[in-house]
Amino acid sequence: MTLLNGLLPPYIESIAITVGIYIIMALGLNLITGVTGQLSLGHAAYMSIGAYASAIVSLQLGMPFIFALLAGGIAAGIFGLIIGYPTLRLTGDYLAIATLGFGEIVKSLLFNMPIVGGAMGLAGIPYKSTLTVTFILVVIVIWMMLRVERSRFGRALLAIREDDIAAECYGINTSLYKVKMFVLGTFIAGIGGALWAHKIMVLQPRDFGFMKSIEILNMVVLGGLGSIPGTVLGAIVLTSIPEVLRFSSDYRMLLYGALLVIMMRFRPNGLLGGVDVTKLVKKSIKSITGSNFTNKEKKKVKGGD
Amino acid sequence: MIKSKKIFWVLSILLILSLTLVGCGGAKDEPAPKEEAKKEEAKAPAALKIGFLGDLTGDTAMYGQNTLDGMKMAVEDINGAGGVLGSNFEIVEADHRYDKAEAANIVQKFVNSDKVIAVIGDPTTGITKATAPIINQGNVVQISAGATGPGVVEIGPYIFRNTLLDSVGGPTTMDYLVNELGWKKVALITAVNNDFSVGLSAIFKEGILKNGGEVVIEESVQDGDTDFSGQVTNVKKSGAEVIVFSGYYTEGGLIMKEVRKQGMSDIIMVGGDGLQAPTFWELGGSAVEGSVSYAGFSPEQPTPEVEKFIERFKAKYGKAPDLFHAQGYDAVMLVAEAIKNANSADPKVFKDALAKIQDYPGVSGNTSFDANREPIKSPVYLLQVKDSNWTLLKKVPVKK
Repeated sequence: MTLLNGLLPPYIESIAITVGIYIIMALGLNLITGVTGQLSLGHAAYMSIGAYASAIVSLQLGMPFIFALLAGGIAAGIFGLIIGYPTLRLTGDYLAIATLGFGEIVKSLLFNMPIVGGAMGLAGIPYKSTLTVTFILVVIVIWMMLRVERSRFGRALLAIREDDIAAECYGINTSLYKVKMFVLGTFIAGIGGALWAHKIMVLQPRDFGFMKSIEILNMVVLGGLGSIPGTVLGAIVLTSIPEVLRFSSDYRMLLYGALLVIMMRFRPNGLLGGVDVTKLVKKSIKSITGSNFTNKEKKKVKGGD
Repeated sequence: MIKSKKIFWVLSILLILSLTLVGCGGAKDEPAPKEEAKKEEAKAPAALKIGFLGDLTGDTAMYGQNTLDGMKMAVEDINGAGGVLGSNFEIVEADHRYDKAEAANIVQKFVNSDKVIAVIGDPTTGITKATAPIINQGNVVQISAGATGPGVVEIGPYIFRNTLLDSVGGPTTMDYLVNELGWKKVALITAVNNDFSVGLSAIFKEGILKNGGEVVIEESVQDGDTDFSGQVTNVKKSGAEVIVFSGYYTEGGLIMKEVRKQGMSDIIMVGGDGLQAPTFWELGGSAVEGSVSYAGFSPEQPTPEVEKFIERFKAKYGKAPDLFHAQGYDAVMLVAEAIKNANSADPKVFKDALAKIQDYPGVSGNTSFDANREPIKSPVYLLQVKDSNWTLLKKVPVKK
């Protein structure tokens, strides 16, 4: 289990773990917002539920990390069910407002609950989110997401995104699918939160505000809504850019903002939005190794939907 | 088969991307030591690096920027006087935007890439607690110039702070309030989403009760609220003689405005050092006149050394120094003092010398470290707002 730990310089390792955690959370949101088209502005709330639940399991019960991780995911998933069931009947802006409200409620509750330390938060959480653990979880989540994308369930979600009335006409129980999808997405957010708690070691409600939700949404939108490789790329870019730009100190956040604007100008669908990466890579490999593809097939690689 | 192939491709893309990332990071790290190596050849012994950990662009940017300005002046003074043990100090700065994940990455960089001997910061308790375990494990000294809450120095033997603790300033102020000003009926207001306020309120309450006062009403507000009419109405009904507020200047100013609006013309606010910003009277105007707060630093009635500091600071930055300037300055000076006393710039050695410092005459007050490495700063300054400015009410020496 210590395969990757210590392989990289600690600074890079620390960034890599942060990137991994954001990849997991962004993939959860990508399922909700990207694949199914349900705009959620409260993703950080599920992350905080996962983080706090796992921290309590670690601190109060002293259980091994794997239980803390699962507890984080399950707790977030349960809240996803409770919140998703009524709110997913809403669409578009209304759903966005409802999830936004839920995010604020969770934050206020955490501020006012002495059991989780109120505004002072929880401290002394053991450091467990090593690079190996994070990497394994990232691989599992990506694999899960690929499986979902290519299943009947995933295609049903896509149908809901494109037109839920049409989807319903084809016999898809849209409410059920949406709730299932939401529980899975929030479960993953909870896992991400649990990893976060065991990396940062201190939890305070203010870390899980509206801006955190927007940050994660940013990654999904920048990478390309609905695209798994895009979301992964978005998380990598947005988490590492502030570090890469560190040399420019004062102008760092200015550059960061400018980059976002430029990217939205030239790739409004996101970095990999509408790009079928697997096909693209296969093509290029084939063409290098002497392909037997016809020109007609090559043209099928399309950009934009 | 097809599926596993696809997964293989995605994974390989990921790996390539992560390699490029690592590559970039590595490339950026490597040239720096080379350049330094050249510099070192030119002017022997290497500079001792001090990391500045703070927020320059986020919610607490004012604290971070002021601490950094104070540190810069200290480094100038030290290097101007020939450095410490023949080496110059050099500040490595990094902005974390008030984000814990970024702060954790930064201290990894400080400890492992930059090889700093000490980290000064963070001014807030939350981020100090998130970074201290990493710094302590890396055997580097951390001095937070501003973390006043509990549970900081307990993290490890390398962790220090240089600030007036809530547990020193709070009781002193309440003692003065109840015994000298003679107000027994207190309304206690807490900003519940502010960890500093929650911690300080507990200390205030204990101080009030210990001195024979009475908390007639406890009210909660939130940082970011702008309407306090409900809470103030309750305070009015309770018949309190004074309002004790543990939160920040913005809410403090607005609460006092509401208090005057509801016709309580002689009641004042007593608070912690969270009220220490011009915003307090910019928002509160005449309503905050007479309000009292405590602080670890005041530019008034200075000792000759502090007076010199203030003059030089004004010449350099064109304004009077505040608490964070002074604490940032002192934090660097404490590191220098510890290195001199230990005759070693190795954090493993000079951390013990730092823990032994007693009565260091800093610009932010006399500093001693007690047996638990907690700072005891004396005196506590009680300040009062007069004509939209803090004026010195009383200097209260602190018993060790």
